[in-house]
Amino acid sequence: MRKVLIKGNDAIVRGALLGGATHFFGYPITPASEIAQGAANLFTRSGRTFLQAESETSAINMIYGAASTGARVMTASSGPGVALMLEGLSYLAGAELPSVIVDVQRAGPGLGNIWPEQSDYNMCCKGGGHGSFHNIVLAPSSGQEMTDFAYRAFDIADAYRMTVIILTDAYVGQMMEPVGFPSAVRHGARKSWAVYGDESSRQNLISSIVMNQTGMAELNIMLQEKYARAARDLTDWDEIETEDAEFLLIAFGITSRVASTAVSHLRENGLKVGLLRPKTLFPFPSERIAELAGQVNLMAVAELNNGMMAQDVELAVRGGCDVRKYNWYGGMVPSADELASRVREDFNG
Amino acid sequence: MSGNRVEVNQDLCKACRVCVETCPQHCLELGSAINALGYQAVRFDSVDCTACGMCFYVCPEPGALTVIKGEDA
Repeated sequence: MRKVLIKGNDAIVRGALLGGATHFFGYPITPASEIAQGAANLFTRSGRTFLQAESETSAINMIYGAASTGARVMTASSGPGVALMLEGLSYLAGAELPSVIVDVQRAGPGLGNIWPEQSDYNMCCKGGGHGSFHNIVLAPSSGQEMTDFAYRAFDIADAYRMTVIILTDAYVGQMMEPVGFPSAVRHGARKSWAVYGDESSRQNLISSIVMNQTGMAELNIMLQEKYARAARDLTDWDEIETEDAEFLLIAFGITSRVASTAVSHLRENGLKVGLLRPKTLFPFPSERIAELAGQVNLMAVAELNNGMMAQDVELAVRGGCDVRKYNWYGGMVPSADELASRVREDFNG
Repeated sequence: MSGNRVEVNQDLCKACRVCVETCPQHCLELGSAINALGYQAVRFDSVDCTACGMCFYVCPEPGALTVIKGEDA
């Protein structure tokens, strides 16, 4: 496969186009701006639609409208922008509209800075807006996965009628790596529930309001069943050196790249350390982590936030083994040596 | 003198310093003036620029930096 050296953010745009995205509505924000820039260029040149909204609130409501008409829609932002979209995410979930949202995480809270963090984990993985809903959350760790996940995201969104969030970070978004592209362009099929402005779809209604209690309860129960189905079918993760591991590192995104190198160094020194990298954060690989809790002596979750994924790990292991938290903030990303020394201390301690 | 230079769009720069730290020739530095966004935008002041383009590639602000190769380079 021929590869091109590009930024992760550019890889997202190309993956989305090949995956059948038809509309991009967005508002640029560092460190996600290359996505809006790339979409403005490539969506328009390939006959798709790009529109720069006046705000993220506008963008997410354009997403709602276009998704209602069966379009394959996407936007991209960073934490402050995605936070503004949370009301819309809830409405999308209530109306079961498929969409793809890229969050290139930066440091927070507030305006924070434009360096990488993973502190939008709870906002994205726990639904974010009001109501009992979830989004499917994919966590790429390389430029190649930025393309691959964006390519798949539209099919997943359509299949489950859900929002798919590609939760990446400023590091992976800005980093340039060789990326190969799929050869086939995907296209969305006509949707039986969408409104196309023609006779056959005239009876369809897109709404998230259900004024009677039993109807609203039934919608909620159906949503939970859908999330359970997604957990059965979509949960995905990678493992490195876990077969005989006595110590398990868990990390996603850029932190998993650092952790992978740290595991190699530690193994060279004879320490039986393994790595589990969730590729989907919702659904979360809880069952596999619970299994490994019966094998290893200790787990440690390395992440660029205050231990958000560690809470999901603790919930999965249910006290089955001790879970340490390695946290960094503000755009600080640990080196492999720094992470390895933290593991060494706890491994020997 | 090569005539190579980097033009900085002062009002797009967020002063993240990635280009300052990446430039192998140390051609870029934070300026003292405050731009429209409230940041001390980067300033180019050097004759050592090789127009390698690394500042352009690492910059997270599309359009903030333009690298111009000098005619006598």
